[in-house]
Amino acid sequence: MGIQEVQNQGGTPAYQKKKKAGRTEGFQESFLQNLKNRDRAKNADTAVDTEAKQAVTDTRGEVKTNAGKVGMGRIGAAPGIRVNAAATQETLQAVEVRHMSYEESDHVRIAVTEGYTLKGKREEGGDARVYVEAKYEDGRVEAYQVDMAKVPEQSEHVIERFALETMQEA
Amino acid sequence: MEQKWSYLVEEYRAMLYRIAFSNMKNRADAEDAVQEAFLRYMKEEKPIQNKEHEKAWLIRTTIHICLDILKSGWYQKTVPWNESFENAAKHIYLPYQVRDDETLEAVLQLPVHYRNPIYLFYYEDYTIHEIAGILNEKEGTIKTRLRRGREEVKKILTEGRP
Repeated sequence: MGIQEVQNQGGTPAYQKKKKAGRTEGFQESFLQNLKNRDRAKNADTAVDTEAKQAVTDTRGEVKTNAGKVGMGRIGAAPGIRVNAAATQETLQAVEVRHMSYEESDHVRIAVTEGYTLKGKREEGGDARVYVEAKYEDGRVEAYQVDMAKVPEQSEHVIERFALETMQEA
Repeated sequence: MEQKWSYLVEEYRAMLYRIAFSNMKNRADAEDAVQEAFLRYMKEEKPIQNKEHEKAWLIRTTIHICLDILKSGWYQKTVPWNESFENAAKHIYLPYQVRDDETLEAVLQLPVHYRNPIYLFYYEDYTIHEIAGILNEKEGTIKTRLRRGREEVKKILTEGRP
């Protein structure tokens, strides 16, 4: 066993400097690329928002001619009922949720495959109004008061249709 | 004391029976499970004061009893007498009118981890928060099971198998 030759004795060990410039440059490149992509995505989102707003405006125009033409849809990834703007303004009024039980309801619809339940009760009083409570698979609960005087009998809107059925059941 | 028990049985018997039946798909076993749940409640040392807690306790215990029976070697080696697994939905008397027995039938065919959240959410009208408490799971887990369970129900209805 020989004596090991030690260089730079007593000082800090002289580690061999590895050239990492290539790696750093690679990182910088990918970082800059990511930043660019993020900016691009942000711009794209803004463009989508503008397009969406435009689409809503267009749809409103269309709704005037096709009032009541709404149905089941998806809000984002969650199942839900697409509430038409015109229908909301004229016949549906969002109200506070009462957490009514099935037993208290006049009419119940359980739509497992669509991911929601509806409970309806005819309101007491002079005006023909129906309280409708919708519970969605993602936990949201929404309530509406439907003015039956304004609901067309041939309405295809899910909540209006359900309110009409509730009136028949009550 | 007797009055309290009779009130308790009257209040929850029907609902617990439906939950037990959705798991057992057999009237006699469902009744046994419900009776066992009431007996366990009576033997419970710590009195349960809160009504919601009481209800959740009874549902949880009933489900656990059902699962224990289903897992038991005796149950797996026996066949129910004079009972048909078909049209099981007709044995569940809900306090409201359900027009779609076919879907309920499909729900009853789901695996247990989808069946209980779906049944409690849609047919017993529990919230996700309440179901998470009853089944001792996170709310996120319940949401996932509801979504996946719904897909399974669709599959059963279209393809006829889970």
